[in-house]
Amino acid sequence: MRIGVFVCQCGTNIASTVDTERVAQEVKKLPDVVYTTTYMYTCSEPGQQEIQRAIEEHNLQGVVVAACSPRMHEPTFRRAVEKAGLNRYMFEMANIREHVSWVSNDREANTKKAIELVRMAVAKLRFNQPLFPSRVAINKRVMVIGGGVAGIQAALDCADAGLDVVLVERRTSIGGKMAQLDKTFPTIDCSSCILGPKMVDVAQKENITLHAYSEIESVSGYVGNFAVRVRKKATYVDWKACTGCGVCMEKCPSRKVPDEFNEGLSFTRAINIPFPQAIPKKATINRSYCIYFTKGKCGICAKVCPAKAIRYDMTDEVVTEEVGAIIVATGYDLFDPSAYGEYGAGQYRDVITGIQYERILSASGPFGGHIKRPSDGREPKDVVFIACVGSRDASVGRPYCSGVCCMYIAKQAILTKDHIPNSRSYVFYMDIRSPAKNYDEFVRRAQEEYGVQYIRGRVGKIYPRGDRLVVQGMDTLLGIQVEVEADLVVLATGIEASRGARELAEKLHISYDQYGFFMENHPKLRPVETNTAGIYLAGVCQGPKDIPASVAQGSAAAAKVLALFARDTIETSPQVASVTERACIACGKCIEVCPYGAIRWKELKGGVRKAEVITTVCQGCGLCNATCPPKAIQLQHATDNQILAEIEELCA
Amino acid sequence: MWSEITKKLQETVQNIMPQVEAVIGWERGFNEIRIKPVVIKKEGDISKLVWNPFCVQNLSGYLVKSPAVIPREGRRVAICVKGCDSRSVTALIQEGFLKRDQIFIIGIPCSGTVDWRKVMKRLERSSVIHRAEIKDGRLMVEHAEGVEEIPLREILLRRCLRCVYPNPTVSDVVIGETVSPHIEKEDLYKDVEAFERKSLDERRKFWAETLSRCIRCYACRNACPLCICQDWCIAERRDPKWVTQKPTLKDILLFHGIHALHLAGRCTECGECERVCPMEIPVMFIKEKLNETTLRLFSYEAGIDSNLVPPLLTFNPHETGI
Ligand SMILES: Cc1cc2nc3c(=O)[nH]c(=O)nc-3n(C[C@H](O)[C@H](O)[C@H](O)COP(=O)(O)OP(=O)(O)OC[C@H]3O[C@@H](n4cnc5c(N)ncnc54)[C@H](O)[C@@H]3O)c2cc1C
Ligand code: SF4
Ligand code: SF4
Ligand code: SF4
Repeated sequence: MRIGVFVCQCGTNIASTVDTERVAQEVKKLPDVVYTTTYMYTCSEPGQQEIQRAIEEHNLQGVVVAACSPRMHEPTFRRAVEKAGLNRYMFEMANIREHVSWVSNDREANTKKAIELVRMAVAKLRFNQPLFPSRVAINKRVMVIGGGVAGIQAALDCADAGLDVVLVERRTSIGGKMAQLDKTFPTIDCSSCILGPKMVDVAQKENITLHAYSEIESVSGYVGNFAVRVRKKATYVDWKACTGCGVCMEKCPSRKVPDEFNEGLSFTRAINIPFPQAIPKKATINRSYCIYFTKGKCGICAKVCPAKAIRYDMTDEVVTEEVGAIIVATGYDLFDPSAYGEYGAGQYRDVITGIQYERILSASGPFGGHIKRPSDGREPKDVVFIACVGSRDASVGRPYCSGVCCMYIAKQAILTKDHIPNSRSYVFYMDIRSPAKNYDEFVRRAQEEYGVQYIRGRVGKIYPRGDRLVVQGMDTLLGIQVEVEADLVVLATGIEASRGARELAEKLHISYDQYGFFMENHPKLRPVETNTAGIYLAGVCQGPKDIPASVAQGSAAAAKVLALFARDTIETSPQVASVTERACIACGKCIEVCPYGAIRWKELKGGVRKAEVITTVCQGCGLCNATCPPKAIQLQHATDNQILAEIEELCA
Repeated sequence: MWSEITKKLQETVQNIMPQVEAVIGWERGFNEIRIKPVVIKKEGDISKLVWNPFCVQNLSGYLVKSPAVIPREGRRVAICVKGCDSRSVTALIQEGFLKRDQIFIIGIPCSGTVDWRKVMKRLERSSVIHRAEIKDGRLMVEHAEGVEEIPLREILLRRCLRCVYPNPTVSDVVIGETVSPHIEKEDLYKDVEAFERKSLDERRKFWAETLSRCIRCYACRNACPLCICQDWCIAERRDPKWVTQKPTLKDILLFHGIHALHLAGRCTECGECERVCPMEIPVMFIKEKLNETTLRLFSYEAGIDSNLVPPLLTFNPHETGI
């Protein structure tokens, strides 16, 4: 092979601590290396032209660039060599910047290490093979999982662009957490007034198929061609017939069913429509409270339903949806405050959570929009808000900031004053986080116009005194202990990953962080892509954020899907696993370990089985290769021979 | 005692013969202490079968490596197993190489098998054995130069002295009384622990000396019931080029490293690799270290529960401890 080596100075980034000239001279002595040079900025246009000129002039068959991390510029150089007529995989990069010049000032040692890295790259290049991508057709339907505001936005944007959309929501109505909110910061506009129309749009768009009360059973396939099995849970009501009139709900004798939508502050019926604006507006029977299911008799709803929609014998149904891309927008759940025993959540009825307070504030909430204490229905005068309950606290495993609590506390304090003008609000906080547009002004308004008292410090204890609560804490600015008597205490419970997020991630083969939030491909440059091609993220499922950011991500994810679907076929990377059939002993270990389900059995004549890689699904992680005992399965462009050649060179 | 069990074994095989294609067991070899494997396919051969502490071979490898007796749809095969051998069978079922309903397992509790090399070393110059008998925990050998009596414990295989599963963990029929293990389970890896207390230099020296004896005959690999690559073993292939045929310590070490790592989380410690090594290299010792790690990290022992997936053959994001 005729190999050319280009040692980049990267201005002074590399040249200041690596003797690039010497690197070029030394590697010139290697067998097969016929041309070496150094260059100021190899990635620049003239730098790339220099590579192309050398390829032509010296008949190079392979190129090594010793420069920066391949993450950024490998594609650049691959394109450059391809333009000069080489296959783009006849190129190797040695990282002598992040791995060498930036980590040490020892010029001698650096130069030696740089030479070693280039020698390894050359050793590998000798085993490189031209590789060619393949193309597959795209099924231009998209699935959105989770019907909160992020998922709704994504679904609507895709539908507006003319795509067929399948929206899967776990609960009986879409809307997510935003549907439960009263008003929204920083503009204090009514949550359901701005979300409601979007929810109605979802119901009315003909190209959106909504599977409510449904969950993902399994996912197979790959970008452009996923097959998703969706379990439609039994509602015991034929939704095609149900008109949402609500007569059943009125007549249902099982009246002590905790109302989830109202966060347990009121009761609903065993058959219910979760809230008036629900989409779809259909009734569902809650089996654990239904007298028919628990005691075997009743059947009142079936008698009263004018549409004859009740079906006690209904069972779950599994449907398969074929889509080309998936947007995951499964949102979040809230921290259980009982972890802080000293706050008495669950023990004192007037210690409530922020989301419960949203319901109390809401006109459609448990108290018709009048602020009352859950214990005795009395209107509170002194309300204490406690920030960071299950946020920024490593001792409860939640070291991260939930991002929205500072803001919704300010909102709720303002609303409290609006509802009860002679009330007083106090906020115990650690720091105030209000960085977005108009946010800090909003918090200041709470403090200055609404007279909300902010006390910087943590609360140590809450205990009852008469029918009120004493909140004891530290004011760290004044350095004194403070005690506030309150009628109502609101705990700003932190955001945590949605229940079942990890299990869903495993079905989708996407990664998640230690807290269960789904991982984006790159925190800055690819924020709504996952590591699995064709699967995108939107909203809080990726990490805590507010409504504007969730909506922006919903639209961003939709844009990514549209970009993907703008072509009819997609190119797949050839850097995937491939089986040498004669060496495969059919042990099946690769099939077991592949996290992407990318390997299956192939039957040859006479019933002989061999492993087969579905190249479009394979992500090139290499687990199969590491596991395969006879090394029959090899990762293209990172074969055992290539890696062994590098090690051999390093240890030589 | 041994003849009684042998008799029972033959009766059992007589009864199941109509249901199976073949029975894999042991028969007498060229003298009484050298037993060899046998495949019984017709009733007339049943009388060849024996059971005694010289039945050292783990026969389960035949179920996956020997085309003549590999069980398949419509061909059920019976196999005789000791406690250790039964774990190999379970491991093969776990990994999908065997279907439980295609094999009939005759389990025999075992209180230890004899290392013929240890016996021969006690007989000094003599190599011709006329008669051998084990009674009351002692071996009595009549040989060309006289009679020798040796306590059984002194001539058991190393694997048997550290056995904690002497009774078959899976079987369709059990012949003989349940026996108790030689050691407590918590002592299973005390040899590994003792070795690890030595200095790095000492350990390196031990392995360099020991492994340099290896002639790369691959007997260890061939005897291992779980070494399933056969002709495609990368120790003998040059593409991909993991090892060369050069007789250097580096290549030997690499071979044994590969052999051991391919058994990580799978090895059942049947000790066949070590038993068959002509150079008396304690090959299983390397795997004991891996098994000690597997047990510590994953609370897993291979070949105990056929419903479990070996820890390294699964992708489990909830894995803890590593
Ligand atoms: C008390 C409180 C007040 C707030 N006030 C404001 C405010 O005033 N302004 C503001 O900007 N932000 C506010 N927020 C933040 C706001 O709630 C979120 O930013 C927003 O709801 C995120 O939307 P989402 O679609 O990402 O998630 P969600 O609203 O959680 O929606 C996720 C949806 O996915 C569904 N789902 C979950 N798992 C699955 C699954 N496996 N399969 C199918 N479906 C699934 C859920 O049922 C849900 O419908 C507040 C938060 C709280 C806790
Ligand atoms: S490289 Fe192997 S393990 Fe990884 S995705 Fe491809 S087939 Fe699966
Ligand atoms: S692990 Fe290797 S030998 Fe086993 S089935 Fe897969 S490719 Fe074939
Ligand atoms: S049996 Fe012994 S000599 Fe033969 S390859 Fe194995 S360790 Fe080496």
